[in-house]
Amino acid sequence: MQSLKIALAGVCVALAACAAEVAREPSELKPEASPRSFVLRDSVKYVLDSRYERVLRGYTEFVEVGSIAQGRVLRSTNAVMTVEGKHVHEAYAVVKDGRLVGFYLPVERSFSPLSQPVSLTLEERKTQ
Amino acid sequence: MNLLRLASIASTAALLAACASGPKMAEVKSSIPALKPSEGRIYFYRSNSMMGAALQPEIKLNGKVVGNSKPGGFFFVDAAPGPQEVTTSTEVEKKLTFTLGAGETRYVKTSIGFGLMVGRVYPELVDNAVGQKELEDSSYTGQPLKR
Repeated sequence: MQSLKIALAGVCVALAACAAEVAREPSELKPEASPRSFVLRDSVKYVLDSRYERVLRGYTEFVEVGSIAQGRVLRSTNAVMTVEGKHVHEAYAVVKDGRLVGFYLPVERSFSPLSQPVSLTLEERKTQ
Repeated sequence: MNLLRLASIASTAALLAACASGPKMAEVKSSIPALKPSEGRIYFYRSNSMMGAALQPEIKLNGKVVGNSKPGGFFFVDAAPGPQEVTTSTEVEKKLTFTLGAGETRYVKTSIGFGLMVGRVYPELVDNAVGQKELEDSSYTGQPLKR
């Protein structure tokens, strides 16, 4: 009986260790003809749906690469952004109404939603 | 007791032997060829930790073996721009996908995690500033470089 309990506990641990694939849906990126640049004023912490935590540091710089149905797509130029589940994928921020609502995965050409969107304070950088 | 001490020394020696022992970045920097404008460069490296040192899986880039994940080691690969897929196979396969632009350099760090039965090696895309700094303490384990 004791060994059965240990085996069951082992199976539970094994199942918990198996992260699911990052949820995503195909999305078409419409490139931005005249991309604007932004800088994030304050650090922001968010939790991916896979429960991995991420931090976007203040002064992270972004360039607007285009838009998808879910919002504007901003690529960070001085920091790496990834989403992680079973695998790790490079990600661009998808912003709508001043909130980070998800991610555009450039390799998979997909949108991955963020169930708990967070506010981003972005300042546009004017080109000289 | 002596047997225990001997086993301890032997395992320490084995772990030390498992760590990368090539020249440091500063020694090979001048021999690393300039990046061709039509290609991008990916540096692969792993921190010099004894944890899981014996675990040195192959690293594949777009399905092709390009090297091994060795503690304290680094190497680089020049590749055509476009989507890239890095995989490391241990107990489970962990995949990293990212884009590489022409003339761009990216840094992939492999780290040890713990699975159910054995350790796992995970690839992670890191900030260029972090990668450049951490490479300074790493040893070159790639193909011989021309002087």
